[in-house]
Amino acid sequence: MMNDEMEQFERRLSRQPLRQVPAAWRAEILAVCRKSRVEGRAQEQFWPSTLVSRLSTILWPHPKAWAGLAAVWIFIFAVNFSIRDKTPVVAEKYSPPSPETVAELRQQQRMFAELIGPRDVRDADRSKSHVPQPRSECVEFLTA
Amino acid sequence: MSRATEIERLYDGHAQPLFAFLLNFTRDESDTRDLLQEIFVKLAREPGLLAGVRDERAFLIRLAHNAAVDLIRRRGTRDRTKENFAAEAISIFAPAGDPDENVFREEMAEALGELPEEQRAVVHLKLWEGLTFEQIAAALDIPPNTAASRYRYGIDKLCDRLRPLYEEMKKAE
Repeated sequence: MMNDEMEQFERRLSRQPLRQVPAAWRAEILAVCRKSRVEGRAQEQFWPSTLVSRLSTILWPHPKAWAGLAAVWIFIFAVNFSIRDKTPVVAEKYSPPSPETVAELRQQQRMFAELIGPRDVRDADRSKSHVPQPRSECVEFLTA
Repeated sequence: MSRATEIERLYDGHAQPLFAFLLNFTRDESDTRDLLQEIFVKLAREPGLLAGVRDERAFLIRLAHNAAVDLIRRRGTRDRTKENFAAEAISIFAPAGDPDENVFREEMAEALGELPEEQRAVVHLKLWEGLTFEQIAAALDIPPNTAASRYRYGIDKLCDRLRPLYEEMKKAE
Protein backbone atom coordinates (compact mmCIF):
# COMPACT_ATOMS: atom_id res chain seq x y z
CA MET A 1 0.00 0.00 0.00
CA MET A 2 1.12 3.58 -0.69
CA ASN A 3 1.52 6.04 2.16
CA ASP A 4 -1.80 7.78 1.46
CA GLU A 5 -3.62 4.50 1.32
CA MET A 6 -1.91 3.43 4.50
CA GLU A 7 -3.01 6.61 6.25
CA GLN A 8 -6.57 6.04 5.03
CA PHE A 9 -6.41 2.49 6.33
CA GLU A 10 -5.14 3.67 9.72
CA ARG A 11 -7.85 6.32 9.89
CA ARG A 12 -10.48 3.73 9.09
CA LEU A 13 -9.22 1.48 11.87
CA SER A 14 -9.12 4.30 14.39
CA ARG A 15 -12.72 5.24 13.57
CA GLN A 16 -14.00 1.85 14.67
CA PRO A 17 -15.88 2.33 17.96
CA LEU A 18 -14.66 0.24 20.88
CA ARG A 19 -16.89 -1.73 23.21
CA GLN A 20 -18.21 0.12 26.23
CA VAL A 21 -17.28 -0.93 29.73
CA PRO A 22 -20.27 -2.82 31.19
CA ALA A 23 -22.34 -0.41 33.28
CA ALA A 24 -22.80 -2.90 36.12
CA TRP A 25 -19.07 -2.99 36.75
CA ARG A 26 -19.01 0.56 38.08
CA ALA A 27 -21.08 -0.16 41.19
CA GLU A 28 -19.33 -3.48 41.78
CA ILE A 29 -15.79 -2.13 41.46
CA LEU A 30 -16.48 0.99 43.50
CA ALA A 31 -18.03 -1.17 46.25
CA VAL A 32 -14.87 -3.31 46.35
CA CYS A 33 -12.80 -0.11 46.49
CA ARG A 34 -14.79 1.14 49.50
CA LYS A 35 -14.42 -2.20 51.27
CA SER A 36 -10.71 -2.42 50.58
CA ARG A 37 -10.21 1.11 51.88
CA VAL A 38 -11.77 0.14 55.21
CA GLU A 39 -9.63 -3.00 55.35
CA GLY A 40 -6.62 -0.95 54.39
CA ARG A 41 -7.12 1.37 57.33
CA ALA A 42 -7.35 -1.60 59.70
CA GLN A 43 -4.19 -3.08 58.24
CA GLU A 44 -2.27 0.18 58.58
CA GLN A 45 -2.69 -0.13 62.33
CA PHE A 46 -1.08 -3.58 62.31
CA TRP A 47 2.42 -3.03 60.92
CA PRO A 48 3.56 -6.68 60.48
CA SER A 49 0.86 -7.27 57.89
CA THR A 50 1.97 -4.11 56.07
CA LEU A 51 5.54 -5.39 56.13
CA VAL A 52 4.46 -8.79 54.81
CA SER A 53 2.37 -7.24 52.06
CA ARG A 54 5.26 -4.96 51.01
CA LEU A 55 7.67 -7.86 50.99
CA SER A 56 5.26 -9.94 48.96
CA THR A 57 4.87 -7.04 46.51
CA ILE A 58 8.63 -7.03 46.03
CA LEU A 59 9.02 -10.79 45.86
CA TRP A 60 6.02 -12.05 43.98
CA PRO A 61 7.03 -11.04 40.42
CA HIS A 62 9.87 -13.59 40.50
CA PRO A 63 9.05 -16.04 43.29
CA LYS A 64 11.19 -18.84 41.83
CA ALA A 65 14.26 -16.62 41.63
CA TRP A 66 13.85 -15.49 45.23
CA ALA A 67 13.20 -19.03 46.42
CA GLY A 68 16.34 -20.16 44.58
CA LEU A 69 18.37 -17.40 46.19
CA ALA A 70 17.04 -18.35 49.62
CA ALA A 71 17.91 -22.01 48.95
CA VAL A 72 21.47 -21.03 47.98
CA TRP A 73 21.88 -19.09 51.21
CA ILE A 74 20.52 -21.98 53.27
CA PHE A 75 22.98 -24.30 51.50
CA ILE A 76 25.89 -21.93 52.19
CA PHE A 77 24.97 -21.71 55.89
CA ALA A 78 24.58 -25.49 56.11
CA VAL A 79 27.99 -26.10 54.50
CA ASN A 80 29.60 -23.43 56.66
CA PHE A 81 28.12 -24.96 59.79
CA SER A 82 29.13 -28.51 58.87
CA ILE A 83 32.79 -27.70 58.07
CA ARG A 84 33.30 -25.36 61.01
CA ASP A 85 36.48 -26.09 63.11
CA LYS A 86 35.15 -27.91 66.15
CA THR A 87 38.53 -28.21 68.00
CA PRO A 88 38.69 -25.84 70.96
CA VAL A 89 41.06 -22.94 70.75
CA VAL A 90 44.61 -23.83 71.91
CA ALA A 91 44.74 -20.97 74.41
CA GLU A 92 41.66 -22.30 76.07
CA LYS A 93 43.42 -25.63 76.77
CA TYR A 94 46.14 -24.21 78.95
CA SER A 95 45.54 -22.89 82.38
CA PRO A 96 47.65 -19.89 83.55
CA PRO A 97 51.11 -20.88 84.99
CA SER A 98 51.32 -21.44 88.73
CA PRO A 99 53.11 -18.83 90.97
CA GLU A 100 55.93 -21.37 91.63
CA THR A 101 56.62 -21.68 87.92
CA VAL A 102 56.64 -17.92 87.53
CA ALA A 103 59.12 -17.52 90.43
CA GLU A 104 61.38 -20.21 88.99
CA LEU A 105 61.38 -18.58 85.57
CA ARG A 106 62.30 -15.22 87.07
CA GLN A 107 65.20 -16.81 88.98
CA GLN A 108 66.50 -18.43 85.80
CA GLN A 109 66.25 -15.08 84.01
CA ARG A 110 68.34 -13.40 86.73
CA MET A 111 71.01 -16.11 86.61
CA PHE A 112 71.23 -15.80 82.87
CA ALA A 113 71.66 -12.04 83.12
CA GLU A 114 74.51 -12.49 85.67
CA LEU A 115 76.29 -15.00 83.44
CA ILE A 116 76.15 -12.74 80.41
CA GLY A 117 77.34 -9.67 82.27
CA PRO A 118 76.79 -5.99 81.30
CA ARG A 119 76.00 -5.28 77.70
CA ASP A 120 78.82 -3.06 76.40
CA VAL A 121 79.67 -3.31 72.80
CA ARG A 122 83.33 -2.89 71.84
CA ASP A 123 84.40 -0.76 68.87
CA ALA A 124 85.89 -3.75 67.11
CA ASP A 125 82.59 -5.61 67.27
CA ARG A 126 80.67 -2.76 65.78
CA SER A 127 79.71 -3.37 62.23
CA LYS A 128 81.22 -0.94 59.81
CA SER A 129 78.76 1.33 58.20
CA HIS A 130 78.53 0.86 54.50
CA VAL A 131 80.08 3.68 52.51
CA PRO A 132 79.56 3.52 48.79
CA GLN A 133 82.80 3.25 46.87
CA PRO A 134 83.41 5.55 43.94
CA ARG A 135 83.12 4.01 40.52
CA SER A 136 86.13 3.72 38.29
CA GLU A 137 85.04 6.71 36.19
CA CYS A 138 84.60 8.80 39.27
CA VAL A 139 88.09 7.81 40.49
CA GLU A 140 89.57 8.81 37.16
CA PHE A 141 87.75 12.12 37.27
CA LEU A 142 89.02 12.84 40.78
CA THR A 143 92.64 11.89 40.01
CA ALA A 144 92.75 13.82 36.74
CA MET B 1 -12.51 16.01 47.64
CA SER B 2 -13.13 12.85 49.70
CA ARG B 3 -11.38 9.63 48.77
CA ALA B 4 -14.66 7.99 47.71
CA THR B 5 -15.52 10.86 45.39
CA GLU B 6 -11.97 10.90 44.05
CA ILE B 7 -12.18 7.21 43.11
CA GLU B 8 -15.53 7.80 41.42
CA ARG B 9 -14.02 10.67 39.45
CA LEU B 10 -11.10 8.50 38.37
CA TYR B 11 -13.42 5.66 37.40
CA ASP B 12 -15.70 7.88 35.36
CA GLY B 13 -12.79 9.58 33.67
CA HIS B 14 -10.60 6.59 32.86
CA ALA B 15 -12.44 3.28 33.21
CA GLN B 16 -13.59 3.20 29.55
CA PRO B 17 -10.16 3.58 27.89
CA LEU B 18 -8.57 1.29 30.45
CA PHE B 19 -11.27 -1.31 29.81
CA ALA B 20 -10.68 -1.16 26.06
CA PHE B 21 -6.91 -1.34 26.45
CA LEU B 22 -7.07 -4.26 28.87
CA LEU B 23 -9.65 -6.13 26.81
CA ASN B 24 -7.49 -5.77 23.72
CA PHE B 25 -4.39 -6.81 25.65
CA THR B 26 -5.78 -9.78 27.58
CA ARG B 27 -8.51 -10.82 25.11
CA ASP B 28 -10.54 -12.00 28.08
CA GLU B 29 -13.47 -10.19 29.66
CA SER B 30 -13.16 -11.68 33.14
CA ASP B 31 -9.43 -10.94 33.24
CA THR B 32 -10.19 -7.42 32.13
CA ARG B 33 -12.67 -7.00 34.95
CA ASP B 34 -10.21 -8.38 37.52
CA LEU B 35 -7.44 -6.10 36.31
CA LEU B 36 -9.68 -3.04 36.20
CA GLN B 37 -10.78 -3.75 39.75
CA GLU B 38 -7.17 -4.33 40.83
CA ILE B 39 -6.17 -0.92 39.49
CA PHE B 40 -8.99 0.98 41.18
CA VAL B 41 -8.53 -0.89 44.46
CA LYS B 42 -4.86 0.07 44.35
CA LEU B 43 -5.83 3.69 43.79
CA ALA B 44 -8.33 3.55 46.67
CA ARG B 45 -5.78 2.04 49.03
CA GLU B 46 -2.93 4.31 48.04
CA PRO B 47 -4.42 7.76 47.46
CA GLY B 48 -0.93 9.26 47.19
CA LEU B 49 -0.20 7.21 44.10
CA LEU B 50 -1.36 9.96 41.77
CA ALA B 51 0.27 12.78 43.72
CA GLY B 52 2.51 14.77 41.42
CA VAL B 53 1.41 12.86 38.32
CA ARG B 54 0.96 15.24 35.39
CA ASP B 55 -0.79 12.89 32.96
CA GLU B 56 -3.25 10.70 34.84
CA ARG B 57 -4.28 8.75 31.74
CA ALA B 58 -0.72 7.81 30.81
CA PHE B 59 0.00 6.82 34.40
CA LEU B 60 -3.11 4.64 34.60
CA ILE B 61 -2.35 3.01 31.26
CA ARG B 62 1.07 2.20 32.59
CA LEU B 63 -0.48 0.67 35.71
CA ALA B 64 -2.90 -1.31 33.54
CA HIS B 65 -0.14 -2.54 31.24
CA ASN B 66 2.05 -3.64 34.16
CA ALA B 67 -0.87 -5.40 35.80
CA ALA B 68 -1.76 -7.21 32.55
CA VAL B 69 1.85 -8.26 31.93
CA ASP B 70 2.08 -9.56 35.50
CA LEU B 71 -1.13 -11.50 35.06
CA ILE B 72 0.17 -13.16 31.91
CA ARG B 73 3.49 -13.98 33.61
CA ARG B 74 1.72 -15.42 36.64
CA ARG B 75 -0.27 -17.71 34.43
CA GLY B 76 2.67 -18.97 32.44
CA THR B 77 2.36 -20.97 29.29
CA ARG B 78 -0.40 -23.31 30.49
CA ASP B 79 -3.11 -20.69 30.26
CA ARG B 80 -1.71 -19.05 27.16
CA THR B 81 -3.46 -21.72 25.17
CA LYS B 82 -6.69 -20.62 26.74
CA GLU B 83 -5.84 -17.01 25.97
CA ASN B 84 -5.17 -17.78 22.34
CA PHE B 85 -8.48 -19.57 22.14
CA ALA B 86 -10.17 -16.55 23.67
CA ALA B 87 -8.37 -14.30 21.21
CA GLU B 88 -10.40 -15.80 18.42
CA ALA B 89 -13.72 -15.31 20.16
CA ILE B 90 -13.50 -11.89 21.84
CA SER B 91 -14.29 -8.67 20.07
CA ILE B 92 -13.11 -5.34 21.36
CA PHE B 93 -15.38 -3.41 19.00
CA ALA B 94 -18.96 -2.30 19.45
CA PRO B 95 -21.35 -4.21 17.18
CA ALA B 96 -22.24 -2.31 13.99
CA GLY B 97 -25.63 -1.96 12.36
CA ASP B 98 -24.24 -2.52 8.87
CA PRO B 99 -23.45 -6.22 8.24
CA ASP B 100 -20.40 -5.45 6.07
CA GLU B 101 -19.01 -3.15 8.73
CA ASN B 102 -19.69 -5.83 11.30
CA VAL B 103 -17.72 -8.38 9.28
CA PHE B 104 -14.85 -5.91 8.99
CA ARG B 105 -14.85 -5.33 12.76
CA GLU B 106 -14.88 -9.03 13.47
CA GLU B 107 -12.00 -9.60 11.07
CA MET B 108 -10.12 -6.71 12.60
CA ALA B 109 -10.64 -8.03 16.13
CA GLU B 110 -9.33 -11.39 15.02
CA ALA B 111 -6.34 -9.82 13.25
CA LEU B 112 -5.54 -7.79 16.36
CA GLY B 113 -5.70 -10.97 18.42
CA GLU B 114 -3.06 -12.51 16.19
CA LEU B 115 -0.56 -9.73 16.90
CA PRO B 116 2.01 -10.21 19.65
CA GLU B 117 0.91 -8.51 22.87
CA GLU B 118 3.57 -5.81 22.72
CA GLN B 119 2.59 -4.80 19.18
CA ARG B 120 -1.09 -4.94 20.05
CA ALA B 121 -0.56 -2.60 23.00
CA VAL B 122 1.24 -0.02 20.86
CA VAL B 123 -1.26 -0.25 18.01
CA HIS B 124 -4.13 0.18 20.45
CA LEU B 125 -2.63 3.23 22.15
CA LYS B 126 -1.78 4.85 18.82
CA LEU B 127 -5.04 4.16 17.00
CA TRP B 128 -7.65 4.36 19.73
CA GLU B 129 -6.01 6.53 22.36
CA GLY B 130 -4.33 8.84 19.88
CA LEU B 131 -1.08 8.89 21.86
CA THR B 132 2.21 9.96 20.32
CA PHE B 133 5.12 7.52 20.23
CA GLU B 134 6.76 9.47 23.06
CA GLN B 135 3.62 9.11 25.19
CA ILE B 136 3.32 5.42 24.31
CA ALA B 137 6.98 4.93 25.15
CA ALA B 138 6.49 6.57 28.53
CA ALA B 139 3.36 4.54 29.25
CA LEU B 140 4.86 1.20 28.29
CA ASP B 141 8.38 1.94 29.53
CA ILE B 142 10.06 1.38 26.18
CA PRO B 143 12.16 3.66 23.94
CA PRO B 144 10.18 5.80 21.44
CA ASN B 145 11.92 4.09 18.50
CA THR B 146 10.80 0.71 19.78
CA ALA B 147 7.24 2.02 20.08
CA ALA B 148 7.39 3.29 16.50
CA SER B 149 8.81 0.06 15.09
CA ARG B 150 6.31 -2.07 17.00
CA TYR B 151 3.52 0.07 15.60
CA ARG B 152 4.86 -0.25 12.06
CA TYR B 153 5.18 -4.04 12.32
CA GLY B 154 1.73 -4.31 13.84
CA ILE B 155 -0.01 -2.08 11.34
CA ASP B 156 1.71 -3.86 8.42
CA LYS B 157 0.42 -7.19 9.66
CA LEU B 158 -3.09 -5.79 10.08
CA CYS B 159 -2.90 -4.32 6.60
CA ASP B 160 -1.79 -7.61 5.04
CA ARG B 161 -4.50 -9.48 6.86
CA LEU B 162 -7.36 -7.06 6.17
CA ARG B 163 -6.38 -5.83 2.71
CA PRO B 164 -8.75 -8.02 0.64
CA LEU B 165 -11.75 -7.13 2.77
CA TYR B 166 -10.73 -3.48 3.02
CA GLU B 167 -10.36 -3.09 -0.74
CA GLU B 168 -13.64 -4.86 -1.36
CA MET B 169 -15.37 -2.47 1.02
CA LYS B 170 -13.70 0.53 -0.63
CA LYS B 171 -14.96 -0.58 -4.05
CA ALA B 172 -18.47 -0.97 -2.67
CA GLU B 173 -18.36 2.59 -1.30
